[in-house]
Amino acid sequence: MSRRSSTNYQRAAWGFLAPGVVAVVLVLHLPVLYTVFLSFTDFNGLGDPEFIGIDNYVRMFRDPAVLTSITNTLLWVVGTLVVPVGLGLVVAYLAFGLPGGAWLRVPFLVPYALSGVAVGVVFSFVLQNGGALSQALAFLNLPGSELRWLQDAPLNTFAMIIASAWQGVGVNALLFTVGLQSIPKEPLEAAKVDGAVGWRLFRFMIWPLLRPSTTIVVGLSIVNSLKTFDIVQSMTQGGPNRVSETLGVTMYRNTFLNSEYGLGAAVALFLTVITLAASIIYLRRQLTIGEPVKKAVRS
Amino acid sequence: MSGRIGLITRYVVLGGLGIIWLLPIYLLLANAGKLTSEYSGSELWSPGNLPALLSNVGEVFSTTDVPSGLGVTFLYATIAPLIAVILGAGIGFAVIVLKLKHGFFWFFVVFCGTVFPLQIMVIPLFASFSQIGLFDTFAGMTIVYAAVATPFSAFVMRNFFAGIAETVFEAAVVDGASAWRIFTRIYLPMSRSALVVVFILQATWVWNDLLLALVLTQSASTRPVMPLLAALQSTEGGGSAYTVVLTAALIVSIPTALLFMFTQRVFQRGLSLGQY
Repeated sequence: MSRRSSTNYQRAAWGFLAPGVVAVVLVLHLPVLYTVFLSFTDFNGLGDPEFIGIDNYVRMFRDPAVLTSITNTLLWVVGTLVVPVGLGLVVAYLAFGLPGGAWLRVPFLVPYALSGVAVGVVFSFVLQNGGALSQALAFLNLPGSELRWLQDAPLNTFAMIIASAWQGVGVNALLFTVGLQSIPKEPLEAAKVDGAVGWRLFRFMIWPLLRPSTTIVVGLSIVNSLKTFDIVQSMTQGGPNRVSETLGVTMYRNTFLNSEYGLGAAVALFLTVITLAASIIYLRRQLTIGEPVKKAVRS
Repeated sequence: MSGRIGLITRYVVLGGLGIIWLLPIYLLLANAGKLTSEYSGSELWSPGNLPALLSNVGEVFSTTDVPSGLGVTFLYATIAPLIAVILGAGIGFAVIVLKLKHGFFWFFVVFCGTVFPLQIMVIPLFASFSQIGLFDTFAGMTIVYAAVATPFSAFVMRNFFAGIAETVFEAAVVDGASAWRIFTRIYLPMSRSALVVVFILQATWVWNDLLLALVLTQSASTRPVMPLLAALQSTEGGGSAYTVVLTAALIVSIPTALLFMFTQRVFQRGLSLGQY
């Protein structure tokens, strides 16, 4: 019955579907395809693109700036998994079940209200030579006050990963907290009765049960760190001398500052392929209409 | 006893980390609250004061493009997500409620839009917008933001509609309502909470966007705040005018901070949907 009544609405359904599909295909998908094409041409922004085969890709993998950028992007991925994800889990776990724990998480959420660019502005200020961090280190007699945080590689990439971590920890802690809350109480109580505490309780009970949250946090962190652009662009613009670029920044620089559109397109395609590969980790989960997702929306 | 020590350790670690986490915010406020003339590179940790902060706010509003940027960004961040929410709801409605044939295929086509980095779209957008006169226009930016926000919106709305009982639709059909009426009078009002989640997340995203804004705008009347802030940072950062740059960073963060504060629950729901 329901099937029949619904199939009578096929024409109407097209009317509801079409505007969104047309917008997405015209504005997103066609440009994606055209970028793939451009990556095999010598397009410079003017005139007609001419087909040059895989020259851009050959140039790309021989370009020291691009190779540095690939290394930096990998550093971003690893750094983002270690610092914001790891620390997010620590904060969530320490605050979980603690009286007043929700309040103790608040400081970590405050930076999330800032944009990537605003975080960049604040940390450029804190990390400038002789800036607030250097002064604090000197005052406390700690080493490092003479470091040029944003000038020397790979220190500048690490410094920017910390800036990004400062922004991201709270959100990850929040996601892990939601995960911790959804762990059923009974098995935990049973494990505690059996004497599992501390690290053993975490390692053998909580960590496995937390897996759905971990998958989402890790998947999102990998994908987002691959696409890193805002913080680097606002803090170092990839410099000095292109040593702190990520793939997102390299693509922007090659294309819009150096007018090498074909090369920029090749970098963009390379970035997209890695991002797609990484996305598969959590996409499969998102595409099946998952129970947790439905509950999350409707609660 | 050891449990007690554990508890205290947890408070100390969390509290200590929390204080470290607030230090950059303190530095932001302290130095946005210093006059450019009083600013000294050696007293970065000393607190600022409110009159100086207000004077810097005045400075931002009178000497930079930030005020016009705030206005136009506000328009982008409300209009584009609104369009995306409606387009996404339409897709979800067609695929789930009206059971469009091959609906999942079309949904998947749209959903693919969430996984591509923006970097792979910007060259053709820049080139084609320049040719058809949409480059550096309000309409052009709104279209791009709306299109980029649509896949996520379709994803959430599809999941939401899948959770509504089919009998709702059948009852409306028996009453003789048209598909349009069922959509606007029954399904949209029912899904208000999901629509709000999508709207807020996408409004925040549009507000914070840097890449599309850098590539697709250049004049003061169309350029959003984030590229303006980034430009201020690279021209004024480093010197004593840093106080004004920090104040600008503070000003452009207030709208999203307020939105975040008042809708924290909504944010939490949205975050578990996989976007931030």
